[in-house]
Amino acid sequence: MIKKTFKIPDMSCTNCAMKIESLEDDLEGVKEVNASYHKLEMVIEYDESLVNEEQIIAAVKKKGYTATPS
Amino acid sequence: MSKNQNKPIDPVIVITLGILFVAVAALMIVFQSNGTSINISAGAGTMSQLVVAFVTGITTGGLSCLAVQGGLLASSLAHQIEQDYVGQAGQKRSKSLTVRTNSALPIGLFLLAKLVTYTLLGALLGWLGSYLTFSPMTRAMLMLAIGFFMIGNALRMFNVHPIFRYFSIEPPKFITRYIRRTAKGTETFTPLFLGALTVFIPCGVTQAMMATALGSGSIAMGAALMFAFTLGTSPVFFIIAYLTTELGAKLEKFFMRFVAVVVLILGFVTLDGGLNVMGSPISLQNLTRTWFASQAESNSAVVPSQPSANAGEVVLNVENNGYFPAVLKAPADTDFTLSLVTDKTYTCARDFVIPALNYYQLLPESGTVQVSIPAQKAGSTLFFTCSMGMYTGQIVFENQ
Repeated sequence: MIKKTFKIPDMSCTNCAMKIESLEDDLEGVKEVNASYHKLEMVIEYDESLVNEEQIIAAVKKKGYTATPS
Repeated sequence: MSKNQNKPIDPVIVITLGILFVAVAALMIVFQSNGTSINISAGAGTMSQLVVAFVTGITTGGLSCLAVQGGLLASSLAHQIEQDYVGQAGQKRSKSLTVRTNSALPIGLFLLAKLVTYTLLGALLGWLGSYLTFSPMTRAMLMLAIGFFMIGNALRMFNVHPIFRYFSIEPPKFITRYIRRTAKGTETFTPLFLGALTVFIPCGVTQAMMATALGSGSIAMGAALMFAFTLGTSPVFFIIAYLTTELGAKLEKFFMRFVAVVVLILGFVTLDGGLNVMGSPISLQNLTRTWFASQAESNSAVVPSQPSANAGEVVLNVENNGYFPAVLKAPADTDFTLSLVTDKTYTCARDFVIPALNYYQLLPESGTVQVSIPAQKAGSTLFFTCSMGMYTGQIVFENQ
């Protein structure tokens, strides 16, 4: 398991954080996502053998946001 | 040619019209008989507060709530819509209508649950508020806090500075996770349940209205305020949620700008009301009245004193649309009696406050109430207002 922080500058309300946290359910290998609208970032804990950074960025993009590793 | 003939009425139109009729009916009840039909709380100005709550809901609340809670509704509908499409595979002709029929009901149920829950929340907040005795000064501070909160939220929406993001309250993680996972359910009661759960993720405008419900200090008034507000949000919420189960980014940005402008204006209005209730000379109304003193003076001269006014008595007419004259002249260094005269006055003008004297009185709908005003220095001004800071006036003390 690895924990990484991504900046998501295009969140506009607390509901965006909730949407991004749904990665927990959508992406295999993701254990926990903590997104914060206040900090415009998400901390994601995932299994590197099942999912990689590019896949996470792509999944966030699919939800309408831009994630960049910080 | 006859393709559109005998086309069944789209249920969404029926439900939308239904909600609009209910909203209009509520407004008619509000306006009938000058607001005496529903005397929910002991305080005056009940009707105007409800109208403001309703209008706030229909103008900004719906869009603001949709921005926060729309995704939740959309996600609960998405699965059902998807199922409908799968179920309709091979039946091309009726696909569109079927999807509409099936999505209208859950949205309606969602909004109904939301309405009921927020009304109960309003009652709870009003009940909590009833245990807090709000002096005019406390109320003023609450109004100032609400005003700052609304302005902060508007500036957050405009993305002025990262600090303003903290004006948006993030719900606890376990709640958002629970709501998100419930939204994946497909049972019939899910929209009802989710509508009720929106109470945990209120938008900025709703949070401001919740603070107002708390400030009402009455179970009935708190419930009525939240009911009026949530009812106001329903038509916009319904129509947009129905037409676009998920807002596009561009559309959302446009709505947020619009909401931000309105919230900013309402924030300043609330802030100004708070300053009035504090008796501050720097409120917009008091400032402009001072700046245009000469005009106010001439206005006050036009309003005749009551013929029955005795020496040492100053008469103020408390009417539905304010206080007349708005600027009173009184002799300095002399005690006098201020007679407050009401005549079928039903608005919040009845809730009379002189902040500097810590005087607060709910006046009768018709009658006269006398207030002893202690001697004041020449050149000083005593501000008076209604308890909501909507109607104001001042007594200017002069040497005789």
